[in-house]
Amino acid sequence: MNMVLGAFAQVLSVKMLLIMILGSFVGIVFGAIPGLTYSMGIILLLPLTFHLPPLMAVTLLLGVYIGGMTGGSVSSILLGIPGTPSAAATCLDGFPLSKRGMAGKALGTALISSIFAGLLSVATLMVVAPIVAKFALKFGPAEIFSLVFFGFSTICGISMGNVLKGLISGFIGLLFTTIGIDPVMGMSRYTFGIGQLISGVDLLAFMIGMFAIPQVIKILSVDESLLTRKISAKVSTQYPSLQELKRMFGLMVKCAFIGIGIGAIPGTGGPIAAFLGYDQAKRKTKNNEPALEGVAGPESANNGVTGGALIPMLTLGIPGDPATAILLGALLIHGLKPGPMLFTQHADFIYGMYAALIVIHLIVLLMQGFGIQLFVKVLNFRKSYLYTTILVLCTIGAFAVNNNEFDIYVMVFAGFLGYFLLKFGFPVAPTVLALVLGPPMEENFRRALILSQGNFWIFLQSPISWFFYLATIFVLVGQVRRSLLAAKVRKGS
Amino acid sequence: MKRIGLVLWVFLLSGLLFAEGGKEKAAAKQKYPEKPIEVTCLFGAGSAADLIARKFSDLASPILGVPLPVVNRTGGGQSVGYTYVKNAKPDGYNVVWTSNGLITAYYQGNIDFKQDAFRSIARISYEPVSFAVKYDAPWKDINEFVDYIKKNPGKVRIGNSGVGTFTHLAAAALEDFAQSQVVHVPFGRGLAFASLLGGQIEASSQLPSEVMAQFEAKQVRIIAVTSKERVKSIPEVPTLMEKKIPIELILWRGLAVPKGTPDDVVAVLEAAAKKVVESEEFKKFCDQMSIIPAFLPAAEMDKFVDADEKFTGALMKKIGASKR
Repeated sequence: MNMVLGAFAQVLSVKMLLIMILGSFVGIVFGAIPGLTYSMGIILLLPLTFHLPPLMAVTLLLGVYIGGMTGGSVSSILLGIPGTPSAAATCLDGFPLSKRGMAGKALGTALISSIFAGLLSVATLMVVAPIVAKFALKFGPAEIFSLVFFGFSTICGISMGNVLKGLISGFIGLLFTTIGIDPVMGMSRYTFGIGQLISGVDLLAFMIGMFAIPQVIKILSVDESLLTRKISAKVSTQYPSLQELKRMFGLMVKCAFIGIGIGAIPGTGGPIAAFLGYDQAKRKTKNNEPALEGVAGPESANNGVTGGALIPMLTLGIPGDPATAILLGALLIHGLKPGPMLFTQHADFIYGMYAALIVIHLIVLLMQGFGIQLFVKVLNFRKSYLYTTILVLCTIGAFAVNNNEFDIYVMVFAGFLGYFLLKFGFPVAPTVLALVLGPPMEENFRRALILSQGNFWIFLQSPISWFFYLATIFVLVGQVRRSLLAAKVRKGS
Repeated sequence: MKRIGLVLWVFLLSGLLFAEGGKEKAAAKQKYPEKPIEVTCLFGAGSAADLIARKFSDLASPILGVPLPVVNRTGGGQSVGYTYVKNAKPDGYNVVWTSNGLITAYYQGNIDFKQDAFRSIARISYEPVSFAVKYDAPWKDINEFVDYIKKNPGKVRIGNSGVGTFTHLAAAALEDFAQSQVVHVPFGRGLAFASLLGGQIEASSQLPSEVMAQFEAKQVRIIAVTSKERVKSIPEVPTLMEKKIPIELILWRGLAVPKGTPDDVVAVLEAAAKKVVESEEFKKFCDQMSIIPAFLPAAEMDKFVDADEKFTGALMKKIGASKR
């Protein structure tokens, strides 16, 4: 108890609070603006942390991480363009809701489920981190493969009702992941002699293009009188009601734990968790109508990842996602070596960090809670201004991912691809899902086969793999049944 | 009226896009350095290479009087970053944070140029590769482990950071010494030891900084390092040489500029590098990261890299990792 009180005393100084406010603010801004990611925010602040004491340094970066993961939902919901890859799934229901004038409700749901799941993940981290870490180590290449394989089953849920077109769109995404140096043997594939293609297609640039450009084309190609008109005269800033939140409570808990689990397994991360969370939400609402659940699911899953990813980072020194990789670096710089010894030798640091995590969540809740009133004003801008600004920000963002000009072309290409896919009724979300899942699937598939020296039994050896294969079959059977039922209904009418 | 507003807005935005380009034109020839020096790092933020580069630029900035922003140009098996700096203007404002990776990337076929496309500024540090096994593994030392490899060809799995990377080379050199077969399992950077703890592989070939925490927590044992001398942060670990295994491999890191950069510019950077590496703060940082600060001046560094290229090239050809 003394330890905990001491930790809060450590955290609640004016300086620490300022650090947390700065971090959360940078995170929310970088998360909310399409094209800028919280990873960039963390990199930007990293040099600043060299001169801070360890706890402050880590707290600053954690603020950006949590603020960014939470803020990513803003542009997903308001503009239909994900602020970060982890928020891609939030677009699916969030954007249609906002078009129906429910922006405030969707943003409020996203914020509350994010913070709730984030705090739950911190609690998990505090209580059972060593146990979770031990379990995560059971995930060898074969097990991770089965998990990612299961992730593909969510294509059924994100296909906007047409599974065949969803699958085709998913395969297009998979094809793009094969471009560049292969992840295992280092061979160049499908580069056609273009030097730049050897690093492959950047996920973030591709995703920004795919979500942003089709919309810009659609908006700017309509009648000019529409351009000068404001989008929706009245944007509701109404928050979700207590009853609605109660309805989604079970879903939020479930998705938070999905996020924590996925976050704890190295080599996976936010986007996968968010799509799984969306799938859970869709299963709950049954019909294809956009619903607040479709926002709460992915948002609680991706914020669950934050605490989850910190588990292997702190207990084993393995980063669960790109952001924790940078956090790990920040710890090393200050001579703190993550691992079991960190908990015994630097217990005050660990407890201070836990306290900071809790306070950061509260700060983000307040900051973004007030921010919602401001954010929705974006929809009152004239579209011609708004969308040209978005296009410029996306271009800068695509460039800034790797400081590589080529990624801008990737973005533009992906944009036109997305436009034509949508025009012919193909959903784009499966393409993005495949781009996220393709590389870890291939890598772990091949790594497992190297481990077993070509023996395919390795994929069926552990109960964990069986669990995910059975879950995949379960989802597929459910999908077939639903399709058959829908066909029957159509025939009947 | 509205239209004018739109036009103005577009101009403003395009100004944002082209702001960078304008700055470069304005720079006239004056005393070096008079504007920020960009340090290209080939690996992602938070990686060991990135952290050392950032610490270095943080310390070098007050010496040179200009900021040294570290820019991560990752991907393409390091080809993106090296190609960028190679094609940059040789005026000293584009520096690459280089390493053995330049040589391995060449022999792997990721890039078509070698160290002669650059001019060395200095070597900054080096680190060995460390072989680690689980704490309760049956092998007492590296010799017993090598014997086990000899007796069980094709059975022992050693995890590394990727095909053709330096950690793979080290494991392959050990395999070559044992005259047996080892299964090399490529993982991402620093990820092999998770599978080591999970029992999916027998040993890992990783940089010391990547296994230090588990070593201190007595979850893994480091049975040997590949440098000539023992590493200060793990003094109890013997070198391969001590154990009568004639392998010496170090991963060096340093700074280089495009070929054709003038002598006086190189001299300025070299002097700054020397000051940084010899500073107490950098030494302390190196201890924390389990790397060894090891300054070499430009002229010696060029020779050092040439020698290393011959050695590494031969080794890669021998183990079949070369595409040249």
